[in-house]
Amino acid sequence: MNIISTYDLVKIYNHSVVPVKALNQVNLEIEQGEFTAIVGPSGSGKTTLLNMLGGLDKPTTGSILIDGTDITAMKESRLIDFRLRNIGFVFQSYNLIPVMTAVENISFIMLLQKFPKQQMEKRAMELLAQVGLTDKANDRPNKLSGGQQQRVAVARALASNPRFVLADEPTANLDTQSAFNLLDIMQKLNRDENITLLFSTHDQRVIDRARRVITLVDGSIAADEKFDR
Amino acid sequence: MKTLLIVSWRNVWRNKSRSITILLAIAFGLWGGIFSSSLSAGMMKQRFYNSIEKQISHIQIHDPRFTRDDDIRFSIADAPAIIKTLRSDSVVKTFSARTCCNGMIATATLTKGIRIYGINPAQENLTTQLAHAVIDGHYLSVTGRNPVLVGKQLADKMKLNPGSRVILTFTDCHGEIISASFRVEGILRTSNSMLDETQLYIRQTDLQQLAGFRAVNEIAILLNNINQVNAFADQLRSKFEDEEIRTWGQISPDLLYMNEMAGVTLMVLMVIIMLALAFGLLNTMLMTVFERTRELGMLMAIGMNKSKLFTMILLETTYITVSGSLAGMLLSGVTILLTSRHGIDFSSVGGDSLSEYGYDAIVYPTLYPEFFVNIIILVLITSFVSAVYPALKALRLKPSEAIRKD
Repeated sequence: MNIISTYDLVKIYNHSVVPVKALNQVNLEIEQGEFTAIVGPSGSGKTTLLNMLGGLDKPTTGSILIDGTDITAMKESRLIDFRLRNIGFVFQSYNLIPVMTAVENISFIMLLQKFPKQQMEKRAMELLAQVGLTDKANDRPNKLSGGQQQRVAVARALASNPRFVLADEPTANLDTQSAFNLLDIMQKLNRDENITLLFSTHDQRVIDRARRVITLVDGSIAADEKFDR
Repeated sequence: MKTLLIVSWRNVWRNKSRSITILLAIAFGLWGGIFSSSLSAGMMKQRFYNSIEKQISHIQIHDPRFTRDDDIRFSIADAPAIIKTLRSDSVVKTFSARTCCNGMIATATLTKGIRIYGINPAQENLTTQLAHAVIDGHYLSVTGRNPVLVGKQLADKMKLNPGSRVILTFTDCHGEIISASFRVEGILRTSNSMLDETQLYIRQTDLQQLAGFRAVNEIAILLNNINQVNAFADQLRSKFEDEEIRTWGQISPDLLYMNEMAGVTLMVLMVIIMLALAFGLLNTMLMTVFERTRELGMLMAIGMNKSKLFTMILLETTYITVSGSLAGMLLSGVTILLTSRHGIDFSSVGGDSLSEYGYDAIVYPTLYPEFFVNIIILVLITSFVSAVYPALKALRLKPSEAIRKD
C-alpha cells in the first residue's frame, strides 16, 4: 500500500526575475517500509521535494496524497497538526532544542501530541535505548557529539509514531564512524519495525544502504532504481 | 503548559548577559520611576496636608459679601447658631471662628499691606496647629497688651524680632481708619512662605475691641473625616442659606485638581518609562527570534502550533519583564521604606524655596498600594506589547526556509 503518492508535482519559485522550476511533473509512489534515498546534484530539487512531502511547502500545481489524504489542500493549522501526527523529521543540523535534555527533546513531541506523562517517559527512554544513548538521557545537546545529537534527533522523529520519517542529508555533518552508527540504527529500525524512511542525500554511504534510489535531475525523476539489500 | 513554562524560563537564560542587562534596565528604570513618583506623591501629600490641616481646613463659612469685598463689616450673621451646631455635631473635629480684615503694618521706617486675622489662640491652634509654627518668641498669650504673630518672611522684610513694636492700621465697623500699637510676640514659619509674608495674627478680642463690634467673618471647620466634607457642607447650606459655605475644593480648586490629577500624573510618568523599556525589550526579543530562527522553524516543522509558539515567546518576554519589575519594585519598596521615616532633606539643594509653593523642604517619600497594583498591570501590558511583534515575526517564518537558515 502506498503511503505517499504525488501526481504531476510542479514547484516554481518566483524569487528572482526568471522563474525557477524546482520540480517538474514529479510522479512518485512510496510504499510502507521502504528505505528510499533521493539523490541528485545540487539544485536538482531534492530538498524541495522533501519539503513538499513533509508538508513544509506547497506545490505550484499537482497534488500529494499521504495515506490517501491530499495535503496540498490543507490549511496551515491543519497541516501543522498533520505533520505532528504523521511525519517524523531528521534535519542536517540536528536542530535539537538546546535548553532541553536528550530525553526531554524526545518527550517534547509526545507532549505536543498530549501523550499521557508516564507513557511518554517510558517511550522516550525506550527510543533512547534503541539509539544507544540511555546514559545520555539527561545531557543537553551541547554535551553531546554531533553523532549523538543526530541519534537523539532520530529518536525524536520516531517518538510520535509517524507514518514515515523524512531525513534531509542527516549524515552530512557527521564523521564516518558516526554516520555508520546512525545508518546502522536507521536501517535496523526500518527492517525490524518496518519504519518508512525517505532520505535526501549526497552521501554514498546512505545510497549504499538504501533499497530504493530515486535520482532527480533538474526537478524531474531521471532514474528510479530498487535494490535487494 | 507546564513544559512551555519550563522551556520559556530556560530560554530566557540561554544568553545570560543579555537577559541580565535588560532585566537590570527594567529594574533600575522602574526603581527610578517608582522612587521619583514616591517623592512627588510625598510632596503632594504633604502639601495637601499642610494646605488642609494648617491653612484652609475642610470647610469655610463667610458672608457672601465678605468673600467679594473683603470688608470687616460683612460678618456672618448666623455665627452664634453655626457655632452651636458645630459644637454639637460629632462629624466636626474642631473649628476656628475668626475676625479678618485687610490693613497695613508699619514700623518707624517701613510700611506694608497685610491681612490681619483676629483669632482665639487656643481654638486656632486646635484647628491649624499655629503654635507649632512659632520659631522665635511665643505663641499668642491670653494676657498682655496687643500681641501679634508675624511670619518669618514679613519679619525679615520689616526687620522685626520678638518684642518689636509695630503699628497696625485698618478700618473699623463704621469705615473709619484706626491704628493701634502691637508688640511682636512670636515669629512664625509655616510651609507657605507667601502667606508668612502677607498675613499676621492678633487676638480676636483685641481686633473686635478696636473695630468696635464683635464680628466673626470666617469660620474654618475641620472634620474628623475628609470624605464627609461634601455631605456636611450640604447639611450646613440647607440650614444656613444666607451664608456662603465652601469646601476645600471650592476654596482651593488648584489643590482639588492636584489631588485628582496626582495619580494620573504619576502613571503618565510610569507609562513613559515603561514605553522606553518596552523598546529595549522589543529589541531583545527580536534578537532572540532572529538568533533562533532555525530552532523556531524546526518547532513549527515538527508540529508545534502557532498558538504555542506565540505563548512561548510571550512567556519569555513576561519572565524578563516580571523578574525585572519585581526586582525594581522590591528595590523601590526598600528605598521608600528607608527614606520615608526620616524624609529626605532638600534644604541644602534649594529645597527652602519649595515653601514658596506650599511644599516642605523635607520630603517623605510615600506611595499608595494601588499605585503598585497599577504598576503590575502596566508591566503586564508592556510585556504583552513587547512580545507581540517578535512573536508575529516568528509566526511568519516559513519552516522550510527557517530550518536551513545559517
